[in-house]
Amino acid sequence: MTQHEQRKIVIVGHVDHGKSTLLGRLLMDFGKVPQQTIEKVRKVCESRGVQLEPAFFLDAFQEEQEQGISIDTTRVNFEFDGHRFLLIDAPGHLEFLKNMTSGASGAETGILVIDGHEGIGSQTLRHLKILGILGVGKVVVVVNKMDKSGYKQARFEEVAAEIRAHVEREGQTCLAVVPISALKGENLTSACEGLSWYAGLPLLPQLVASTTAVSVDTAEAAAAEPLRMVLQDVYRFTDERFYAGRIVSGSIAPGARVFFSPSGKVSTVEALETFPPRDMPLAVKGDSVALRLKDQIFVERGEVVSLPDQTPEVNNELQAKLIWLNSEPLDWANEYLLKVGTQEVSCRLEPSNMVFQQVGNGDFVDVVIKAQKPICFDRNGFGVDKFVICTTYETVACGSIMALTTAAPQGSQKSKNIVVESGFVKREEHENRHGHKGTVLWMTGLSGAGKSTLAKALERRLFAAGFRVQVLDGDNLRSGICADLGFEPEDRAENIRRVAHLSKLLLNTGTVVISACISPYEKDRRIAKEIIGAEDFHELFIFCPIEVCQSRDPKGLYKKASGGQISDFSGLNAPYQPPANPKLRLDSSTMSIESEVDSIIAMLQAEGIKPPVSAVGARGELAWKP
Amino acid sequence: MTDYLTRLEHESVFIIREAYKKVRNLALLWSMGKDSTVLLHLVRKAFLGHVPIPLVHIDTSYKIPEMITWRDQYVKDHGLRLIVGQNKAALADGMGPDKGRLVCCGALKTQALLDTIKENNIGGLLLGIRRDEEGSRAKERVVSPRPENGTWTYKDQVAEIWNHYNLHLPEEVHMRVHPLLSWTELDVWEYIEREKLDIMPLYFSNADGQRYRSLGCWPCTGTIDSCASTIESIVDEIRTTKTSERAGRAQDNADTYAMQKLRSQGYM
Repeated sequence: MTQHEQRKIVIVGHVDHGKSTLLGRLLMDFGKVPQQTIEKVRKVCESRGVQLEPAFFLDAFQEEQEQGISIDTTRVNFEFDGHRFLLIDAPGHLEFLKNMTSGASGAETGILVIDGHEGIGSQTLRHLKILGILGVGKVVVVVNKMDKSGYKQARFEEVAAEIRAHVEREGQTCLAVVPISALKGENLTSACEGLSWYAGLPLLPQLVASTTAVSVDTAEAAAAEPLRMVLQDVYRFTDERFYAGRIVSGSIAPGARVFFSPSGKVSTVEALETFPPRDMPLAVKGDSVALRLKDQIFVERGEVVSLPDQTPEVNNELQAKLIWLNSEPLDWANEYLLKVGTQEVSCRLEPSNMVFQQVGNGDFVDVVIKAQKPICFDRNGFGVDKFVICTTYETVACGSIMALTTAAPQGSQKSKNIVVESGFVKREEHENRHGHKGTVLWMTGLSGAGKSTLAKALERRLFAAGFRVQVLDGDNLRSGICADLGFEPEDRAENIRRVAHLSKLLLNTGTVVISACISPYEKDRRIAKEIIGAEDFHELFIFCPIEVCQSRDPKGLYKKASGGQISDFSGLNAPYQPPANPKLRLDSSTMSIESEVDSIIAMLQAEGIKPPVSAVGARGELAWKP
Repeated sequence: MTDYLTRLEHESVFIIREAYKKVRNLALLWSMGKDSTVLLHLVRKAFLGHVPIPLVHIDTSYKIPEMITWRDQYVKDHGLRLIVGQNKAALADGMGPDKGRLVCCGALKTQALLDTIKENNIGGLLLGIRRDEEGSRAKERVVSPRPENGTWTYKDQVAEIWNHYNLHLPEEVHMRVHPLLSWTELDVWEYIEREKLDIMPLYFSNADGQRYRSLGCWPCTGTIDSCASTIESIVDEIRTTKTSERAGRAQDNADTYAMQKLRSQGYM
């Protein structure tokens, strides 16, 4: 059996700093580039009237060769001095960042290429940061095109000092800084005349010296790590069940007691099944395995297998750093798919600092991921600590998990030493006295959609039926308790937070609360729902086409907004995000006020809300019938 | 102790299991060549000896006759389910390499494959392509979605980070899944040697000192000078060779970007 070691290295750096040229050069000199391929590239170069371009060995697409750029990532194997390398080429253009990241995610070490003449470019630092997020914490810096900068030592030292400082600031390790000329193949394997002042090792010997080969013995290293196996599938080709998955950390052996997260099931490993069948005493990190367990337990794809005393964390909220990799910017209101290990859960993202700024391709952001159900994960740079964010068909971001969030109260609590007092009159006691239950009817809709009008009519009907009822009208609140707030997204968030807390207080007095605020952001409404409690939060979408709202314009606001006198006007120059799943959707452009009120009353009846018996007189009964 | 081949094997098994779990009606595109035969072996490894998916062979009718004999015997011996696809209409119209190599490949391979996928409602295919075969394959992702007409949007491929493959697919799309993408020709032969796999005899040197290094249709595939008549001697030969694996394949050399063009239209 042949025993290979292999070093996986990604080449990153700014556009045109010579990544593909370096890799092509190495491939030409040490890879086994077939003679026909060299001839083919030579012919292409001749026909384009350029010198033999080593980059063309990698940039095989016609578009790449015509434009002299790398579009997508590729990887090549080559051997130097008996050491096997897998070198991954990554394009430098911001436009192709997702391709760069795809390539770099498979690496263990990075080579950061900098044009010595031009110095550090914008993508140099972005790539460095991405390597950090991907967990590729060690880099060898190459200062390229030394021939172009006259082999000047001073220039090299200048660039080297600058980049070392950057690497350190990112908390990464700079293994070495090596001056080279990729085009001329200088200082790759042996020193050259122009660089006689350079005391370090040439690039390849440096790589051999400062990177470790992964392969060789992972068993020893794995023994020290906690076991993490991600479950892919459960097979029942015969009567027996096999639990198939991959070990991403640690090791596993027959006889081990194993714990499944997040289900909490426990069993014992009877055997590690193989084909052809053989006795497998141990499986380690990187292995794809099939477990035969003592108990035929029911678990599904997505679970993480660990030892019972070293389980991963389980939570539905986690803090993370991510890089956005899509030309479509991050939509804070959108639902995304979170993939951690083999778990897939829908989630929403929230900025850690609650500032909802635009996040576009290549931007880094700290977020709180709010998953729809609990997921399990790790945080300390091992196991299940990395994730990707996807839309239905695409990966749009990737990141690593940071510290766990504590269940922080919504909104920023400035005062720390607050102990919540309890023992007051309970909501049920209030409700018993009034003879009816409290609840919250949360209306959302454009300005002019008819929220206030409907709120008034509904309040009147409920009042007549004997309910204690209170309307929280957006505009009225903004002239009082929210008078200090404007219409920026942050202020809107604060406005809704206050309305939600007011609703909650009134709810505790057993009141039926009708909130009538535009509440344009899905995220803010979600926070309101959390504050109030899902069982009491009834989202009513008061729909009306914007043209109709505009023609109604009861407060003359649309006129002002379209005249430029109001900015941040929902539906015109600020977003309105309609609710995806409202309890009721009422179209005020086609329904009468009465039938809208009837629909709401029917909904309340279906929820088991009844008016107080004492109030049911002739008028009350009439009011309560839809 | 995990050696390099074992690492490759486990990586491929992971990919195969992901595809089987998430892709509807998965199949394996089997050319009976060394790569797809290794892939078939890895499917057995993934499913503990079972082959829960059908094999698909696209028969251009120009295949070297020994290949078809070997195919049928192998399928019988191993109890496999085989779907044979063929563009009968094009053949009836006299399609062949004399109509132009790329035209012929397009009709008898690409179109036949797309028709077979449609007829059998196949949601995804495991393919044995490798990055080191030729330039456009080097740029592939492990998972590559293809719309009904098979086109490869190579200029805007989706991000594929760590082992998170994008395997959700709309109805009209099929997935190409490439578990051997990171393997090299040498890896494949070393693995065949290690696992003692039953391999098509055409790869071994005949009495005239000729063998096939890559298999295809007889009009477009040439033999190489070689006296390697055992797996061990092939491994030795590949270790030291300076010629390309697909040198004997005429379609690659039809023009500079021939494979890119063929593949962007849905060729394997």
